[in-house]
Amino acid sequence: MGKFEELHKEALEKIGCASNLSDLNDLRVFYLGKKGPVQALMKDMKNLSKEEKPAFGKKVNELKQQVSAYIDERKEELAQLEMQMKIEKEKIDITLPGRRMESGTIHPLNLVQQELEDLFIGLGYQVIEGKEIVTDEYCFERANIPKDHPARDMQDSLYVNENELLRTHTTAIQMEVLEQQAPNLPIKVVCPGKVYRRDDDDATHSHQFTQMEGLVVGKRVPLSDLKGTLEFLARKMFGQDRQIRFRPSYFPFTEPSVEVDVSCHICNGKGCPTCKGTGWIEILGAGEVHPNVLRMAGYDPDTCCGFAFGVGIERIAMLKYGIDDIRHFYTNDKRFNKTFKRFE
Amino acid sequence: MLISRKWLSQYMDVSDLSIEEMADKITAAGFEVEGVERLAEGTNLVIGEVLTCEMHPDSDHLHCTTVNVGNEVLNIVCGAPNVAAGQKVIVAKVGAQLPGGEIKAGMIRGQESNGMICSLLELGVQAHTLSEEQKAGIEVLPSDAPVGTTDVLAYLGYDDEVMNIGLTPNRNDCLAAFNMAMEAGAILHKDVKLPEYKDAANVGGPTKLQIHSDTKGCPSFLGKVVGHITIKESPKWMKELLRASGMNSINNVVDISNIVMLETGQPMHFYDKDAIVNQEITVKDGFEEEYTALDGVTYQLKPSDLVITNQGKPIGIAGIMGGDDSKILDTTKGLIIECAMFDHVSIRNTARRLNLATESSIRYQKGIEPLASQKALDRAVQLLIEYADAKELEETVVFGSANYHPHEIVCTLADINNRLGTSFTHEQVMDVFERLHFEPTYEKDMYTCHIPSHRVDMEGVADLSEEVIRLLGFDSLPSTLPLMEMTEGKLDDRQQMVRYIRTLMTQRGLQDCITYTLVSTYKKDNAILSIGDAVELAIPISEERRYIRTSILPSLLDVVAYNKAHSQKDVNVFEISDVSTKDTTRSHLAFALYGQLQTTRWNSFEVASDFYTAKGLVEELLDHIGITAQRITYKDNTMDTDHFHPYRSAVVYIGKDPVAIFGQIHPKYGKDNDVEGTILCEMDLTKLLEVKKSKIKYTKISKYQSVTRDIALVVNRNIQADQIVNVIRKQGKLGKEMIIRDIEVTDVYQKAPLPPTVKSITVSILFQSDVQTLKDQQVNEVMEQIMKALEKQVGAELRK
Repeated sequence: MGKFEELHKEALEKIGCASNLSDLNDLRVFYLGKKGPVQALMKDMKNLSKEEKPAFGKKVNELKQQVSAYIDERKEELAQLEMQMKIEKEKIDITLPGRRMESGTIHPLNLVQQELEDLFIGLGYQVIEGKEIVTDEYCFERANIPKDHPARDMQDSLYVNENELLRTHTTAIQMEVLEQQAPNLPIKVVCPGKVYRRDDDDATHSHQFTQMEGLVVGKRVPLSDLKGTLEFLARKMFGQDRQIRFRPSYFPFTEPSVEVDVSCHICNGKGCPTCKGTGWIEILGAGEVHPNVLRMAGYDPDTCCGFAFGVGIERIAMLKYGIDDIRHFYTNDKRFNKTFKRFE
Repeated sequence: MLISRKWLSQYMDVSDLSIEEMADKITAAGFEVEGVERLAEGTNLVIGEVLTCEMHPDSDHLHCTTVNVGNEVLNIVCGAPNVAAGQKVIVAKVGAQLPGGEIKAGMIRGQESNGMICSLLELGVQAHTLSEEQKAGIEVLPSDAPVGTTDVLAYLGYDDEVMNIGLTPNRNDCLAAFNMAMEAGAILHKDVKLPEYKDAANVGGPTKLQIHSDTKGCPSFLGKVVGHITIKESPKWMKELLRASGMNSINNVVDISNIVMLETGQPMHFYDKDAIVNQEITVKDGFEEEYTALDGVTYQLKPSDLVITNQGKPIGIAGIMGGDDSKILDTTKGLIIECAMFDHVSIRNTARRLNLATESSIRYQKGIEPLASQKALDRAVQLLIEYADAKELEETVVFGSANYHPHEIVCTLADINNRLGTSFTHEQVMDVFERLHFEPTYEKDMYTCHIPSHRVDMEGVADLSEEVIRLLGFDSLPSTLPLMEMTEGKLDDRQQMVRYIRTLMTQRGLQDCITYTLVSTYKKDNAILSIGDAVELAIPISEERRYIRTSILPSLLDVVAYNKAHSQKDVNVFEISDVSTKDTTRSHLAFALYGQLQTTRWNSFEVASDFYTAKGLVEELLDHIGITAQRITYKDNTMDTDHFHPYRSAVVYIGKDPVAIFGQIHPKYGKDNDVEGTILCEMDLTKLLEVKKSKIKYTKISKYQSVTRDIALVVNRNIQADQIVNVIRKQGKLGKEMIIRDIEVTDVYQKAPLPPTVKSITVSILFQSDVQTLKDQQVNEVMEQIMKALEKQVGAELRK
């Protein structure tokens, strides 16, 4: 084996054995540097004949290039290896919990109220809120509730003086809207708000609760429009397959008056404990606005009419989420409130 | 309202309908049948005669009997203490289905038993209608009971089915069975025949009876003397109808007053004629004394109570309960009938105060139709003559008048269909009016309905439309949507802001809460950023629910305390709510932070719920709703140092007005409420809404390099960071251009080796020009100006 072959073999072995970039760099300096064995070969050249010299020089250069190429190749390998080791060292436990910027949640009553508001905004309704302390006149008289009605007794509603009280229903807002708008048509509003009654708080009663009143008045807004409108409400809150039905009822401020049932979303109308086996769940009261109400507000009931409905937000939320005690809404137990993370 | 099959069968043929079918139809027409009950139930029953009755050989309370049931003699072991040979009894034979289960043949302690001798309880009769004797043992039938009869329930008169109907307040006329029957007839398409009794009371000779009312609470009053009656047992039909209505039979005369009340809805009172001195009865008020009524209980009368008097002495509480002295006894020979209208509010107040809900008071409270007094008197006289041998009648004495005017409603078919959105035909609508006994006439496209006196709910066309849809059924109502000009659906500015803030707060990790508006005196007294004097309820629900709140925070502290007590380490909550005084309503935001706002424990990541977190929330909120930092000042809190730590709280001003207060809870107030260390904030959102917002406007982003300079300043310890920032902000001009783009406090240091009187504040200032690349020299010049100003205005030096 000639010197060239020996040197080639040796360099190849050493380069192959270099285990890091620093060692490899030493080898580069050793083999390719001015004092290295390759360069030393050039010393032999002076002993060669003129004819042999070019071939010899070429061989030395080739050897240089080969060694250099080996080094580069090895360098690339080592770089990859080092990167690999570095990466492996950086391994983390991805099952540890994330650093959550935990969001709070919107109160379930506000969730339901906002969903309903958005539904009706989409249908062209304005959202109107009013004051919670109202006059007896707007709460009752304008709603066609006669003076001697039990609700107008100081004992039964939450009066603050002889003619002002905490509103007992959002119908009080409706009466103000009507008076402010008269005689303009049409009116399309929803009026959400807190209402108050003299009730002892228990699983199904609350002295404070939330209602949303809907009111549409125009030249011709028959009872059938109420049905079509409430179908949107029922489907938005309880699913696209819901049906509604009307049952006759009585409210002083509507005529005809109806109770509205929605087909049970738990059993699809087959009958279950939630709907007490009937397949239907009562969700709200509604009707055609009573002519006396329109007249008192300054409208001529012979030339316009409309519908109104009043829905209990707690009732909707309890049915929708299966909540069994109305007091949960006002306790604000973090574990309860956290359940309601999103609009559905 | 209880109405039974037997009741309805008096007036119409309902034999083709089951009680459930009737209930469904009546419910669908607006009279909700809340329940259906059978007075008694049982199959395979027979009337038997006890032939022999001996003690059971192996028991000290059982009897072994033989009972003849007509076609056979049965051995029956009976546990009732009152069973005896010779009795006529109810026997449930083997296979009988009773409310408690099926009767089976068997051996009872070695003795054969093929059936059961029954008590009424075992047939499902309501216990409260039975005597103690009846409840304790088997029912013993009259000796003439026909042995072998299998239709036992009919024999007993317990073969009735009762509907419990919930009446809406506009249809209290149906507390009268006659009116309910007319309604049921209309709903069920039945011809209704009510008894003919009109003018039956128009009999009698001259009278000495004097009746009078001294009070507005009794506008009209009918009285009549019946000189002779015979007290005896009531006829079977009367007993059965009373039973179906949940009342017990007393005697024929008392039963007649009750039956007439049930039929006509008009309560009436019969007095023993001999107990009424001088035949004088006056209705009065203004009494304030004790009075013992028919039930033996002594009641305290108040001046507002209506009282029936004789010779100035109370003989009854009007419309509620009569007196003991004048009640009908077995010895009563003659009657005075009282049939009056009383003010329903007065009756309601008295009945409620005395806690006396009688059949009579309930009817008065719900309102009685104008002609009911006359109807009731006519009917009572008719029944007294027929069933109580009434004689020596005297003419009716009338005080006041019924004040009734017949009422007509006129409408067209279009009126009806336009209100409903239906397309009912003339025939359908006419049929409804006829079924309701409105005696409609139709002429020139107009219907004229003649409204019966009891339908006080019928005012106009709207009411007619309800009758039509109610009786023709809501199934025929189409589903449509309003056809009208387009309207804009929207939230107003306040509502939008509230929604925005609610979203912002929840995204920062706070829970949205709703607490009660009504608060206790303690919470009222501890209002924070109160908007004025709290309004008190005229009659509070309780001490806890006495005032309308003027501030949210006291309620929110309860939420923190509650959650803390339920092992929640971190409680970060907010509420947006209206707060009110007598004259104003404003929207407030309150939040309370306790523990950590954000935390991941394993890698010690946390955002503490402290003053600066609260301030950050306030800054973010104001910034996002368009109130620029320059318009806001944070001042030391001197406004409310009862609830806040005086040195760890701030008041936020926009211009001269405080809009919010926030900071750490005062240690004492925190301890009192078990929420020490909580961070609080109450903010007036209405104020924020009133503030003019800056418009969002695009500004060109400079293309020139920016330069940052950090300076560490040493200042007196009392100098606040804001003072330094404000000094710097006023400098920074290069020529005419303001080149300071941002000023940030990056460090505050106040420990050794600095002397205790000073602190070091490091500020990072960002410079940038819109027109040139800033040179070091230029920035140095500006920095020099800044340092001079800082030295002069806040005594700052560069830290060495």
